This record gives sequence, structure tokens and C-alpha cells, in this order.
Amino acid sequence: MSGDHIHPEPTSFLKKHVFSVDHKVIAKQFLWFGLIWLLVGGVMAMMIRWQLANPGSPVPVIGGLLFPRTGGVIDPASYNMLFTMHGTIMIFLGLTPVLIGAFGNWCIPLMIGARDMIFPLLNMLSFWTVALGGAVGFYSLFVPLGATEAGWTGYPTLSTTVGTQGDGETLWAVAVFLIGASSIMGGINYITTIIRLRAPGMKWSDMPLTVWGLFFTAVLNVLFLPVIGSAMLLLIMDRVFGTSFYVPASIMSGASGGDPILYQHLFWIFGHPEVYILILPAWGIVADLLSFFARKPAFGYKVTVGAMFAVTVLSAVVYGHHMFTTGMYAMLGESFMLLTMIISVPGEILFFNWLHTIWRGSLRLTTSMLFALGVIFVFGLGGLTGLYLATISTDIFLHDTYFVVGHFHLTMAASALFGAFGATYFFFPKMFGRMMSEKLGKLHFWLTIVPLTVVFCTMFISGYGGMPRRYYDHTSADYLVPLQHLNTITTHSAFLLGAAQLIFAWNFIRSRWWGPKASDNPWEVGTLDWQMPTPVPHYNFKEIPVVKTGPHEFSHPKLGDRDWIPQTEELPA
Amino acid sequence: MTTLAMDTPREDPRSRANATLGMIFFIGSWSMAFGTLFLSFLILRERVGTWPPPGIVLPSFPMATVATLVLLGSSVAVHAAVKRGRADAGGFAGLWALGTVLGVAFAALQSWLWFDLLAAGSGPQAGTYESLFFGLTWVHAAHVVVALLALLWIQLGIRTGRYGAHRISTVQNTAMFWHFMDVVWVVLYLGFFVF
Amino acid sequence: MNALRSLFSFPTKAVAAVLATPLALGLLSAGATAQDVAKRWGPTDPASTFGEDFQYLFWLITTLVSVSFAIVCVLLLIPVLRDRAKPGKKAHYDHGSSLHDKRFTAVVSLIVFVVLDAWVLVVAMKDLREGYWNIPAPDDEKTYKVEVLAQQWAWNFRATGADGEFGTADDILSTNTLVVPKDRPVSLNLTSKDVIHAFFLPDMRVKRDANPGAVNIAWFQPVVDGEFDILCAELCGYAHYQMHGKLQVLEKGVFDEWEQEASRLAVAAHDAEDTEAHWAWEWQE
Repeated sequence: MSGDHIHPEPTSFLKKHVFSVDHKVIAKQFLWFGLIWLLVGGVMAMMIRWQLANPGSPVPVIGGLLFPRTGGVIDPASYNMLFTMHGTIMIFLGLTPVLIGAFGNWCIPLMIGARDMIFPLLNMLSFWTVALGGAVGFYSLFVPLGATEAGWTGYPTLSTTVGTQGDGETLWAVAVFLIGASSIMGGINYITTIIRLRAPGMKWSDMPLTVWGLFFTAVLNVLFLPVIGSAMLLLIMDRVFGTSFYVPASIMSGASGGDPILYQHLFWIFGHPEVYILILPAWGIVADLLSFFARKPAFGYKVTVGAMFAVTVLSAVVYGHHMFTTGMYAMLGESFMLLTMIISVPGEILFFNWLHTIWRGSLRLTTSMLFALGVIFVFGLGGLTGLYLATISTDIFLHDTYFVVGHFHLTMAASALFGAFGATYFFFPKMFGRMMSEKLGKLHFWLTIVPLTVVFCTMFISGYGGMPRRYYDHTSADYLVPLQHLNTITTHSAFLLGAAQLIFAWNFIRSRWWGPKASDNPWEVGTLDWQMPTPVPHYNFKEIPVVKTGPHEFSHPKLGDRDWIPQTEELPA
Repeated sequence: MTTLAMDTPREDPRSRANATLGMIFFIGSWSMAFGTLFLSFLILRERVGTWPPPGIVLPSFPMATVATLVLLGSSVAVHAAVKRGRADAGGFAGLWALGTVLGVAFAALQSWLWFDLLAAGSGPQAGTYESLFFGLTWVHAAHVVVALLALLWIQLGIRTGRYGAHRISTVQNTAMFWHFMDVVWVVLYLGFFVF
Repeated sequence: MNALRSLFSFPTKAVAAVLATPLALGLLSAGATAQDVAKRWGPTDPASTFGEDFQYLFWLITTLVSVSFAIVCVLLLIPVLRDRAKPGKKAHYDHGSSLHDKRFTAVVSLIVFVVLDAWVLVVAMKDLREGYWNIPAPDDEKTYKVEVLAQQWAWNFRATGADGEFGTADDILSTNTLVVPKDRPVSLNLTSKDVIHAFFLPDMRVKRDANPGAVNIAWFQPVVDGEFDILCAELCGYAHYQMHGKLQVLEKGVFDEWEQEASRLAVAAHDAEDTEAHWAWEWQE
């Protein structure tokens, strides 16, 4: 049951690579799984962008294959399916598995000095549950009437049988439910592992910030995924058994019935913490990477942890800012506005500490470092534009326009993705025993950050122009026609952004099998994971290490030639 | 602090504590799930002016009360069984069996409540009250079924000697989950039948 | 300089391959998007009393945010350019955990909160109290009341007509076209027949959801006459993007004439049998 035993290495292929209980294998499974889904979601994004810039013209290359009935043109129903599935896939099947599944599984035991997760079997179950969820979601694309068209937020009554027929939406709800269950299993495992299996000597304040980020994420997962799970159950019952949780009676009839706004409350009680579920691991990773590659201790470690804790607590009480136009009480709206502004304070403290960490450092601008610095840039853009949306009187106009799309893509998508890229370039040598190409990595970085900034900043302009999101064709309304040129700019930058990801795919695959062999500690950092041989032996540590130093002891004046020290060594007095 | 043996017949206190801690987080998480359902109950109930709505078929109050007492009895039996099991005292298997039988009896009574309503022409699609009653008890019942399977599994394990004082954490966790089911039911009972 | 160059030395083939794809796609789409329309880089000029407040606050936030972001970028660029790793150079060893550092962090956060958040908060609260939430009194003669019933995919409007009562024969009914008077507060009751819609008047800077099973309230006061677009801003299915209508704002005299005529026609067209057309609800505030 527990991860501090040594189990013999399995010999059969099935037990070793498929139904493995080894956290390292599961981490790689999550990584491949997530990357493949990111590719699928990315291709969907490209199709969405194609349609917006060229409404009604056939999609080149793949159009004829995917939309044979219309001769390659995306029809409005398929368009709605595309953005719904793009959102769902990116959040639940792309970013969550990569950031939390892969790097959570990889980093937590290795960084805290444990032989495995505390519940290895639950860990395996977590992966296969998310895989099943992915399969259900994928299957829903092929049922009659196709996948759901109700948006990734799945608001009733559009998502009930009032608005969507067919099994697509029901299967979507089942998939979200399963993925949620997987995240809860992972969360319970991560929390218990971090509490119980830290190596002797490793105080809470000796944990790398990556582990802290993952810890808070796990707490949010355990607390708030059940909320969406229950909300989905009620939705499934409304669709399948004809209950009326979310389906109201007509206002003219005088009867009451269900409440569609109830779903919005439940969804965002989960949905807002979900933003932090995705960003907290990235914050943790970035805080570590900045210290590692600035060769300087992380500035204000405890304040950083405190700020992440504050964000975790506050994340549950700000969700109302997603619902300013639903007609909530004025007082309630004002409270949510104030709370949302308060949550910006810990976020700002994180920025302050990151910038302070690299100040007067000795910066090694590796690809991982570039992506970590990139997070400061894109999260700065995304976070600051949140101010417009927290403020009710500006949000009323900007709500459900492209301004919102730009904002949440920069915060929860681009920042989380940059964190994931930084982590991939960083942990790759330990995971696969080979180095990724730095030249291709840097090219990938520049060809990502430049078009990405153009894509989402143009969306801010479109949104300020009043362009609503989830429109099949913006040239349909007179008001929007003069904004169409912005769609063209966004789309062309998006194509460049998409193409740049192929460099990453190529770099990843080539380096995985043909890259130069990595040394044990190529980045010269002191955390426990990098003190192990590469490849990491089956049960990680033959002897559980004893921790004597913090994770960020760089450039200590008494260290001599070496500017780093393993966590297992004592700092010179 | 590290044991190098595999499949130890006797679990060490450390891994026992680990298992308990994991179960506590699990139940904390599931409390949020049921809490969400109960919040929905309160909000929808608030929308319906008079509660229960006049003129509808209500589930049988006496039968639900009996079901509640049976389930409480089951919890007490399971609790006593775990105590005996931990102390390696007699009556472990017997009390656990009693708890399981009472659990099955609860499931039967719960089914009776449903079929009674369905026979009277009510059903989940009849209105807000019915949606809530059927929906929430279904979710609870699905968990009860899983818990009953676990209770049976432990029962078999006690027979074969797999579980006992030497391996008690799975037994304790199952009992904890069963008590949790009990608490959830009591909350539902209070919501639907008392207040 | 060499260090900087190392950041940008790329294999040319990879660059070419990557740039080629979007360029090709761009060429493919260039013809499709060529349009001879005046371009716009923002919203149209505001046409309601909310407009100026919105524009002011939007640009206040933009200024504050731009300055903050510029500071972040400068603080990011300085170490990247100045503090690069060089042989023999060591980083400054500092955990930033002293009391002095913590105080410094606290002071900076407080300044940021006051300058960025509190300032905006105060302005926004004032705007809300005087604007969006200052719903006009319904019994005021000046207030023009409209019931909006959204459906997939159309907007149904109902105004009281001359008698000031909803649900009577002289109610002015229309679909997708709403006629309102200039310089008078227009008060809206919104609901929906089927799914959630959102009533969005970009020129008026107003948006409010139309939820099934509940009545939502919104208001605005047009200050410019003319024709404006009504858009749906909440995903409502297949034809969401086509769910738009027109708002006609008429000068006082013109409007009064129009209202009398429309009310007269409504009475003439009233059909007591057509229950479908008799939707209306008690006005809610």
C-alpha cells in the first residue's frame, strides 16, 4: 500500500510500461497523453482561427477529410463543437495531465526523497481514469449529432435537452466527471505523499517551490473537483432521467422548477479554483527555475509560499466575477469585485519576489529559463488585464467578448503552458536520459512568445471593440464588420504560433531517442532529484537521503568554486 | 524506517497511519461532493415557496425513519466490530456480518421508498421535490452499493484470515466510509423528512 | 554581445520550414478576407449616458495597467541584460528573508493595491451607483418600459403602448426591432423562452443576461438618435451568431408620433385567440 517499501521491478511489458504503479512511468504516461491531446486541441484552435478569418471557405488540407458533407467548410454546428471541445480538451486533457499528472508524479517523490507515491495503485488508477475520460470525450465526437455544442462551460439550459439533443453533451458530462475523479485520486495521493513521505531532515521549508505549487493544487483538486462532479451528475440526471434541477418553468406560468443559475454558481465555485489549479504548479516551477538559473536563492521563500497559500484560500471566494451579468444582487456583485481585487495582492507579491530573485543574479539563459521569464511576461499581461474584468462597470461591456478570451488564454493557458514547456526542457534530461536541443528550444521560445503576444493582445482590441466570443462569423452583424481585420491579424499570428509548436514536437521526439546523453546533473542544482543517477533507478533511492540544506542555496560566499550545494550536504559554517 | 520486505503479512503502524490519513482526505473530498448536492437542495427548496409542495405524493415518513434506524444500527455494529478486530477479540466477524446484513436491509428499505413512490405515479420527472428526492438518494445509494460490496469483501477477508488485528487499515477505512454514508443519509433524512 | 547572439542563433532550415506553413496559409486566405470596409480599432462612439463613464474608466485602467506592465518589463530586462553569467562572477547571495525585506514587500504591495485596485474600485463604485444600478423609477412618466423575451434565435419586445399597462390589447409588439425614445431612461425586463441569451447593446455599453425562469433587469438612456445593433452575447446554440436585431432611437416628437401609430395598429391587429402572442408578465423591479 505505501510508497516507502521497495517492490521488485516488474519484468512483463504490460506491468512495466502499461499498468505500471511506478510514479516515473505514470509521469511519462501522463506526459505523452497530455502532449497528444494538446496537439489535438491545438489543431482545433487552428481550425477555429481559420473559420474566423475566412468565414465559410473550406479548410485547407484537412477540411475535406473532416467535413466531407460541406466540402471542407466548417458549418456553424461543427464550429460550436470545435470551440467546446478545444476548451475541454486543453484544460482537462492537455494542461492538467501535463502539469499536474506528469510533473506532479515526476517531481513530488523525487524532490522530497521518497521511493514512490504513497498509494501507487491509486496513482495508476488515476491515470487510467483520465484515459477513460479522454476516450469517452473522443468517442462523443462520433455519436449521431456529434459532440456537444454547449461550450466548455456547459451552461444549462443550453446543455440540457432544451438546447442540445443527442448523446454528445451527456458523454461530455461523463468525461468531465471521470477526469474530475482522476484528479481527486491524484490530489489525495499528492497531499498524503507530501505530508508523510518527506525524507528525514526535509522540513516544510526545505521543499522546492515546485512541490509547494503542486501541494496547493492538490488541495484545490481535492476540494473543488467534487463540486463539478456533483454539478455534472445533476446535469446528467436532467438529460437522462428527466429531472428538473436546472430546467426552470416558464416565467409566465408562475411555477418555479429548476434553476439554471444554480449550475453557474456550482460551475464557477469549481471553475475559478480550476484556474489556480492550472497556474499554481506553473508558478511553483517558475519560482524554482528562476532561482536555479539565476544562481541565486529564491527571494522571500516563505513569503512566496504564503502568497500561494493566500491565493489558494481566496480562489474559492472570488468566483462571482464570472457572473456579473447574470443579475446577481448588487451587494453580492460588489463583494466579489472587492475580493477579486484583493486576490491580486498575493499575485503581485509573487511577481515582486520573482523579479527580486533574478536581480543581481548570474543568469544562465537556457531554454527553461527563457520560458520561466516568459511566464513573468505573459502572466503580467494576463493578470493585469484581469483588472478590467474584476471591475463590474467595465466588465458589463467586456463580458463574453474577445477581451475575456485574450485574458484567460494569457493567464490559464499561455502561462500554464509556458510553465509546462519550461518544466519539460528542464526535467527532460532526468526523465529520458538525453538532452533536448537548446538551439531548437530557443527558436521555439521566440517563435512562441512573439506570435502569442500578438494573438492575445489583438483579442484585447477586438474585445474592446465589442466583438462577442463564440460567434461563427463576425461579418454577420453590421457592428462587427469593421472589426474583421483584427480577426485576420489574430489568425495569421495564430498559424505562426501553431507552426512553432512543431519545432517543439520535433525537438521532443528527436531528443527522446537520438539526443546526446545527459549527465546526472546538467543544470547544477541541489534538489534531491538531480543528485540521483540518470536513468533514475527503479525505486529511486536505495538509501533514503537525509536533507541538510534548503533547495535554493546558490552562490553561498563560502562555497568556493562551486556555486551550488546538494540538499544532502551541510552548508559551510 | 524503511522496510525491505514485500507483502508483509503485518502492517507497520506507519503505513496504517498513511492509510487512515488518505481516507480522511478522501472523505473530506466526498463531503464537498455531497455538500454541493445539499447546497443545490437548499437553493432549489428556497425557490419552491411552500415545502413540501402541496398536492404531491410524498415518500413514506415511517419507512424512512425505520431505514434511518437500521442504517444507524449497522454503523454501530460495524464500529463495534472494528473495535473487536483491532483488539483481536472475539465477535469481529459476527458483528461485521450484522453490520453488513443491516446495510443490505437499508438498501432494501431505500428501494421500497422508491418503488412506493413510482407505484403512486410519482417519479423523478414529476417536479422539483421529486427531482431532489430521487436524484440525491440515487447518488447516495450508488455509494451505498459500493460500500456494501466493500463490506462483503472484508467479510470474506475475515473468513480467510486476510484481515484481522494484523491487517486492519482496510477494515478501518471501509468502516469509516460506511459511517460517512450514514452521516450523509442522516442529513438527507433531516432535509427531506424533518425540517 | 556574444551572449546575446547565442540567444538568437538558429538552424536556418527549421526557421524556414516553420515560417513557410503560416505564410502559405496566409496567402491562401488573403483573397478571402479582402474587404473594402472602414476598419475600427475599438468600439463605436458611446450613445448612452453610460458611455462616458465607461470610456473614462477603461482608459484609466489602461493607463494604470500599462505603466505597471512597463515597470515589470524594465525590471525583467535589466537583470537579463546586465546580470548574465560570466566566468568568475557570482550571484549576490540573498534569501530576501530579513524583516527589512518583508516590510519592503508589504509596503510595495500596499502601494500597488491602493494605486491600482483601490482607485479603480472607488471610481467603479461611483459609476455603478450613479449608472448601471441607478435603475429608473418605473412609475416615473419619463421611464420607457420594455419587456424582452429572448428565444432561439430572436428577440421579442413588448412595450406598454398608451395605457402604460403590460398584457393589454394596445401593447406594441415587435421582433428583432426595438424602438425607443432619445433622452429618456429605457427600462428593461428580460427573460428567455428556452436557453440563456444575453442582451448586448455595444453602442450603449449595456449587457444583461436573459435567463429562462427568471426576470432580469437592465436600463440605459440613449443620448444619440439613430440605428444601432442588438447582439446576443451568450452562447445560445447553432445560430447564436445570427441572433441580432436593431435598436432605433428616435427624437422626442418623432417617437411620440410613432408610438401612437404603433399602439393604434396593435389594437387593430389584436387577436384574442392567438395565445402565443399574449406573453407578458407583471413588471418587476
